[in-house]
Amino acid sequence: MKKFFSSALAKGLIWQLFGWIIGAVFVTLIRLLMGLKVFDIFFFTEPAWVFGGFIGVLFFIGGSGIVNDWFKWAKGEETSDHHEDPDGWEKYINVSLDHKVIGIQYTITSLFLLVVGGSFALIFRTELAQPGLQFLTLQWYNTLMSLHGIVMIIGILVGVAGVINYLVPLLIGAQDMAFPRLNAFSYWIAVPGIVLLLSSLALGGFDTGWTGYPPLSARAPVGMQMFFLGVFTAGWSSILGGLNLLATTVRMRAKGMVAFRMPILVWAAIATSIITLTATQSIGLSFQLVMFQRLFGMGFFDSAKGGDPILFQHLFWFYSHPAVYVFVLPGLGVISELIPVFVRKPLYGYRWIAMSSLGIALVGFLVWAHHMFASGMNQYLQVPFMYSTLLVAVPTGVKFFSWIATIWKGKIETPTPMLFVVGGIVVFLIGGLSGPPNATVATDLHLTDTYFIVGHFHDTIFGGYVFPFFAAIYYWFPKATGRRMKESLGKIHFWLMTPAFLTLTFLMMRVGMLGMRRRIADYDPALGFAGYHLVMTIAGFLIALSILIFFINFFSSIKNGEKVIGNLWNSRSPEWQVPSPMPVHNYDRPFEVIGEPYDYGLAGSEYIKFTKGK
Amino acid sequence: MENNNKADVLNQGVIIFVFLAVLTALEFFVAIEIGAIVLLIIMAIVKVGLVIYYYMHITRLNEDSGDDKHSLKYKTATNRLGLWLFLLSDSFVFGGLLVSRFYLLSLTRPPLNQTLGLIVTSVLLLSSFFMNRAESSMEYGDRKGFTASIIITLILGIGFIAGVLGVEWPSALAEGITPSSNTAGAIFFMMTGMHALHVLTGLIFLSVVLRNGRRGLYSAEKHWAVEAAAVYWHFVDVVWIFFYPALYLIGKLI
Repeated sequence: MKKFFSSALAKGLIWQLFGWIIGAVFVTLIRLLMGLKVFDIFFFTEPAWVFGGFIGVLFFIGGSGIVNDWFKWAKGEETSDHHEDPDGWEKYINVSLDHKVIGIQYTITSLFLLVVGGSFALIFRTELAQPGLQFLTLQWYNTLMSLHGIVMIIGILVGVAGVINYLVPLLIGAQDMAFPRLNAFSYWIAVPGIVLLLSSLALGGFDTGWTGYPPLSARAPVGMQMFFLGVFTAGWSSILGGLNLLATTVRMRAKGMVAFRMPILVWAAIATSIITLTATQSIGLSFQLVMFQRLFGMGFFDSAKGGDPILFQHLFWFYSHPAVYVFVLPGLGVISELIPVFVRKPLYGYRWIAMSSLGIALVGFLVWAHHMFASGMNQYLQVPFMYSTLLVAVPTGVKFFSWIATIWKGKIETPTPMLFVVGGIVVFLIGGLSGPPNATVATDLHLTDTYFIVGHFHDTIFGGYVFPFFAAIYYWFPKATGRRMKESLGKIHFWLMTPAFLTLTFLMMRVGMLGMRRRIADYDPALGFAGYHLVMTIAGFLIALSILIFFINFFSSIKNGEKVIGNLWNSRSPEWQVPSPMPVHNYDRPFEVIGEPYDYGLAGSEYIKFTKGK
Repeated sequence: MENNNKADVLNQGVIIFVFLAVLTALEFFVAIEIGAIVLLIIMAIVKVGLVIYYYMHITRLNEDSGDDKHSLKYKTATNRLGLWLFLLSDSFVFGGLLVSRFYLLSLTRPPLNQTLGLIVTSVLLLSSFFMNRAESSMEYGDRKGFTASIIITLILGIGFIAGVLGVEWPSALAEGITPSSNTAGAIFFMMTGMHALHVLTGLIFLSVVLRNGRRGLYSAEKHWAVEAAAVYWHFVDVVWIFFYPALYLIGKLI
């Protein structure tokens, strides 16, 4: 317990709370002097809460000590690049510069957020099991529904960062990321952001959905501001993480690893990082503008003052559509990475796969307005955006073709990671096929804002992120811990989650087509889909049960799992050529790339060679 | 030999500054007399190109930094890439603000004092010139020249902030352009405010570099912090080169 209270996490959180109060009291005093209203329904006034929240973030950063080295640099002092972490669990709640520790911090945070967001979903899913309102008020339903969305999204962003942070330096043979301190900062800035986001629960919540469209978001309770501020803060994690990853892959690759010998996951990480580096600023800006509209009456989106709410949607979707490619591209990279290992065949069309990640990312910048077909934007924009959206299917199709062709006539093994890979492909295929109806203007005008969209979205994100994320955890768990997770529990997890999930999303699409609106707390029993809703709720709880089994497996395997030191999956990838768990400074001897990465099953082919001596 | 080089580099800075000054004056003239928007945009792009190429030295990104990943040269090149990526990211904020400005106001502009705009723009351009001089001096190990130039840069930067926040804002408020009056006011305060925040960050960065430079921490071979401060400062200038015509020159008065 003492170790906990002296950790960076605990110190940061205490300082954040302290800063929050100081900031709020400061604004309150100023308002008192100016003769403005001092107290409101949530004790402090809205400007006080927002300013306090902002100061709290600064105090968190200062209090947890992540920026100490930068202050030393500003003072002209040198700092050591070799930073030793303590053994044991406390290194995970303290500031570490090791990309592997940071990757695990991200992953654990992500799992935590997925549980929180999933619990919100279970609560309002239960409410939806029957028509009428049973135990939630409308405001609580809306808040939980909105928070489910955004908490999951932040959780996925953090999880993507976890996978990338842990793996990319290992895959390219780097000692660490290009900027280790920035890497630590990127992780830790997400923590106060998450606290702010969850604090909206106590401040009246918000009822806009995760999109936060004005004019509704301009008059939602104070919780809305906490949502904006929290996402804005956590967004910096994404931006700086992307920056770091791009610099790392450009500058830190092992000798001989030319562009077209990089692992596919690295290509996917590059594509992802291009999006997070640039587009994230756009959502940050849009949220900032609404915050300022609420605080200072600046009428960006207030039509009474000449503003235009559609502008918000443009700025918002300019990030938020590419963001879904941030969620899925690393997952698709994991799929491409694992298939050749488990079918013992070379990856089909390596170059095409590598370029398709970049292709999806770049086309992704040109499709945002397909979310706005029904918004009242200029009509001449609809058809170009329809075609650009349909174009995304081309690079995605390239990936599917390569996966099928790789599996074709392979010697397929199905340990748990491979199960999740195959499950991911199937689910992502359904998500992909349900996409074009939403991209086509004529059908989208019918489907928009129905449960069909919800089903489509969950299929793409489960197929593109959740399944590959679990595959990655089962696959690389031994690398991180030196022990493997139980196969039996892993298989139960898979065979419980997959059918339950498919039932859930098929029924979501079904009720959507029958007229169920999304984000709505209640529905008319006369529409005849109350039974479907009950089945969906049961399916939701089965998914939760499977996740519970995963967690039991995860935590018990850390201590009691079967010990695995060597190359468990018989992989060609460099990180499996050294003992597990991964040594602190990665590779003792640098390696050189001498062949193609995925030439499984070809006699005499080699990917890497460790050079002798230091 | 080396002195000749140094003189050449400093002269180049002067020539570029003259170009920038002439273009700025021409821009003002075009806006007042002709009002050709395309011409204004082209001139802004030319100015930005000059700053990015000659003052920010974008071509250094392409320099060969050898194979030894532990060498100072290699690490500096990595830092340089990181800084440019950050600027790329940041430019999306300003890009978003410009998009918002044209989306909401299209080809109208708030009734601001154009002369005042020209003055603060000139001050910022001049500060970029001295920043370039400071960096070039440090490249040739001239610490005195570095200190003098960077102090002038700092003073001009403070002058810019004082001009925008201390003179421009109150005069706009006096004219009835307030953040909450209409979108023109909101956009004006948002754009200048966001830019001023970056100028303030730059000023802090410059003070740190000035202090450490006076303590002798930088040399001709090792002065990444100076280069970073310079590139950042020029970037803030680049942003203003777009913001100035967008706010003061382009479009009809509301």
